[in-house]
Amino acid sequence: MTRFLSVLVLVAAAVPSARAQFPSTPPEPAAPRAFDIPEGRTVTLGNGIDVTLVPYGELPKANVYAVVRTGNVDEAPGQTALADLAIGMLTEGTTSRTAEAIAREAAEMGGSVSAGAGLDQTFVTGRVLSEFTPDLVRLVADVLRNPAFDAEAFARIQRDNVRSAAVGRSQPGTLARAAFSRALYGEHPYAAVVLPDPAQIEGATVEDARAFYQANVLPSRTRLYVVGRFDEAAVEAAVRGAFGDWRSEAPAGEMREVPEAQGGARVILVDQPGAAQSNVIVGLPTLDPSHPDYVALQVTNALLGGSFGSRITRNIREDKGYTYSPGSGVSARYRTGYWAENAAIVTASTGPAIREILYEIDSLATHPPAADELRGIQNYLAGTFVLQNSSAGGIASFLSFLDLHGLGRDYLETYAQRVYAVTPQDVQRITRDHIRGDDLTIVVVGDRAVVEEQLTPFGEVVIETL
Amino acid sequence: MRPLALLAALAVLAGCTSVDRLDAPAAPASTEPTFEPLRPDEIARATPERFSVPVVYDTLANGLKVVLSEDHTAPTATIAVYYNIGFRIEPRDRTGFAHLFEHMMFQGSENLGKNEFIGLVQRNGGVLNGSTRFDFTNYFEIVPSNTVETMLWAEADRMRGLAVTQDNLTNQQGVVSNEVRVNVINQPYGGFPWLDLPQAANENWYNAHNFYGELSDLEAANLDDVQSFFDTFYAPNNAALVVSGDIDPAQTMAWIDEYFGGIARADVPPIPDLSEPRQTEEKRTSKTDPLATRPAIAWAYHMPPRNSDAYFAMGLIQEILLSGDDSRLHQALVTDTGLTSNVSGGINWPLGNMFNYNGPMLWSAWLIHDAETEPDSVLAILDREVERLQNEGVEPDVLARAKVKLRSGLYDTIGSGVGLPDLLATFALFDDDPARINTLVDRFERVTPGLIRRTARDVLRPENRTVITLEAGASGS
Repeated sequence: MTRFLSVLVLVAAAVPSARAQFPSTPPEPAAPRAFDIPEGRTVTLGNGIDVTLVPYGELPKANVYAVVRTGNVDEAPGQTALADLAIGMLTEGTTSRTAEAIAREAAEMGGSVSAGAGLDQTFVTGRVLSEFTPDLVRLVADVLRNPAFDAEAFARIQRDNVRSAAVGRSQPGTLARAAFSRALYGEHPYAAVVLPDPAQIEGATVEDARAFYQANVLPSRTRLYVVGRFDEAAVEAAVRGAFGDWRSEAPAGEMREVPEAQGGARVILVDQPGAAQSNVIVGLPTLDPSHPDYVALQVTNALLGGSFGSRITRNIREDKGYTYSPGSGVSARYRTGYWAENAAIVTASTGPAIREILYEIDSLATHPPAADELRGIQNYLAGTFVLQNSSAGGIASFLSFLDLHGLGRDYLETYAQRVYAVTPQDVQRITRDHIRGDDLTIVVVGDRAVVEEQLTPFGEVVIETL
Repeated sequence: MRPLALLAALAVLAGCTSVDRLDAPAAPASTEPTFEPLRPDEIARATPERFSVPVVYDTLANGLKVVLSEDHTAPTATIAVYYNIGFRIEPRDRTGFAHLFEHMMFQGSENLGKNEFIGLVQRNGGVLNGSTRFDFTNYFEIVPSNTVETMLWAEADRMRGLAVTQDNLTNQQGVVSNEVRVNVINQPYGGFPWLDLPQAANENWYNAHNFYGELSDLEAANLDDVQSFFDTFYAPNNAALVVSGDIDPAQTMAWIDEYFGGIARADVPPIPDLSEPRQTEEKRTSKTDPLATRPAIAWAYHMPPRNSDAYFAMGLIQEILLSGDDSRLHQALVTDTGLTSNVSGGINWPLGNMFNYNGPMLWSAWLIHDAETEPDSVLAILDREVERLQNEGVEPDVLARAKVKLRSGLYDTIGSGVGLPDLLATFALFDDDPARINTLVDRFERVTPGLIRRTARDVLRPENRTVITLEAGASGS
């Protein structure tokens, strides 16, 4: 008997135990490995342009970002999308290169150069094979500094923008964003540019575009970032040669006035007869990134609606099946911003889904989350922060975000620490004070005949035409 | 769970027989271009900084293919499981089922209940997703590298078996129906052209059905379908597991053996005949999109068989004609004529790239234009650029630029936490050779101007093309 047992033990030992019995609980993670988000080295040129060089990674490629503090925010009334027209002209030819030559030369480096106006920032960027990084710096400089503003090209860019505006008008998600932005920002460019008036685009002239460029694309508003694998000395020399003598007589200009975002409980319905879904936005003006509670707001957002495992997503997707891709987020503008939950909801369940969203907000405003739930979200934010900042493009984007909002580089080093400092009570307080349930604007783009009645419990329904 | 879209189909390549005779150019030999093939020293010069991906490849006793690739740039890792089942070969009376099933893989397994898989990944600081494509369904987590063992356990748990309920299925039928609504039914240009072109261009049901699924088919699915699909396709011998990033390969392989080694293999049915007949005349169809405010046009050509010489040539033809602002179609349709602001498209677009499929495939493109523009004027420009390539061949500098663009783009794919495991997994599944990732650049470098021209003549034939015009049904200002 004794002997038989020992044979059994031997046999058992010869088979990996896991194959005999799969563990019913997950193995605990090992200790996390340290990672410093690279912030690189910043040099300042004689004309004041700051240049940040960040050697990163093994891949033989590099990104060059020229970031100018201008965008739609600088458009005057009646000039909606002029920033898009003006910046769109940058890659349409310089005083020494045609549009084709710009595209071809960048392609020969294994990349492309693009220029785009955002709300607060304009980006001229490229990404090429490492050995061409100094050439890309020179090409970006030419594009940024010497646009030709050819009249024929301008007419074409105008038509492209009119066409894009027409396509935007056909997209229910864009219509919802337009109505929501208008409720918060009125006639300000932050709102107007979401669905630009084609007449204003058609009314602009190439001289308007040139004037916008001359007034706003200035060395004093420009920063450069080079991130990836590149020859640092050669790139620094190229930057000095290509940007060092850029001067402008135009005044740098004060940072423009920050619009007052309008909160307030409202229900706005844009009729889309027969729509199979309602595009819903529920949100309000909230903290911007310069506020000390901004990180706590991000934690709160991720727990409430901003991650796959968040409360709102679990509720209206994984429990109710009302929607496919709901999600909340904080949209940061310079010294202003808003929080919003977005969801495309099957028409018949529009009202019930909004009720659930409001329920989850109210619930978090009245009860602090369990420590475990919060801890999970903190890990999620700390982990995804590394993921976002472990690629050349991610690093360049994030550094330019910090610089726009006037956040120091210590933000990178202290981010995780600040995430973990948030308490359950903080989450409750942030929800109560900054995602105020009685101050939420509800926008619905959907079939009025079906959904209007579903919306009346949330307040007087205002029908809006865009 | 947020599949790119849906789709997928496997296809052991009975191959696309439509263009398999590339050695016999249709044009007389006298018109062959005079460009010489690149010499080895020219090839060497064209590739200054070579980049090589470390690849460890093994197959477990139960048939699971395992690929490991170390990279310690950041303390992150990707765990990816690719199953050799795409939407192409889903059951005939259950269109969209491969994709619906993908959602069910997040609904619970023996040791992880509903929401727990997602919760486990998130509270370990990672992100996750899954998607269904022509020839595979994938699941992946990008996580801090100290949590690799935890994620391997979780993927093994759901490979061992599912524990889903009728409530879970009903819930995901609702979610997927809403996915179809948000991406297709309530979206201008929603299925255009990525759902429309395969249905119009292909003859074989496997390649030509609605991969997202008819809502009625999605609603008809039941728990037996779920179990049967799992039992049929979700076996270790029908899958590849990739772990890339900040890992210790020996330790990782030991964990994989521990957690996956005991999962039983299954009898996986052979892939059905996916072949497409050779197309003999151009197909043209049109549709009205009630939500669209501007008309659009799309076209597609059947690709030559995967990994043939002509296939690699098509990768470069795509760079010359379609990819990037410098491409001939962008220059002609955007910069010169202003007919549109953008031409989009590609091989296996937008559901993948030229590498991650395994059956008949299309090279497609589309654009939105103004009402005043006649669709035929767009096609005339396409024809002109195609004929230029067919008649004049390609200048050495243009071909060199195409190769640089392709190599550079390949590095970007390799450099992403999703792109590298995707190539390794599909090369393991379809070619049993993930290390071929390091031979791709050479294969493209060896493409000659003559091959480009022969391929242009054989593949870009008018009768190998399908065109769909979209009429705008909404007024919109």
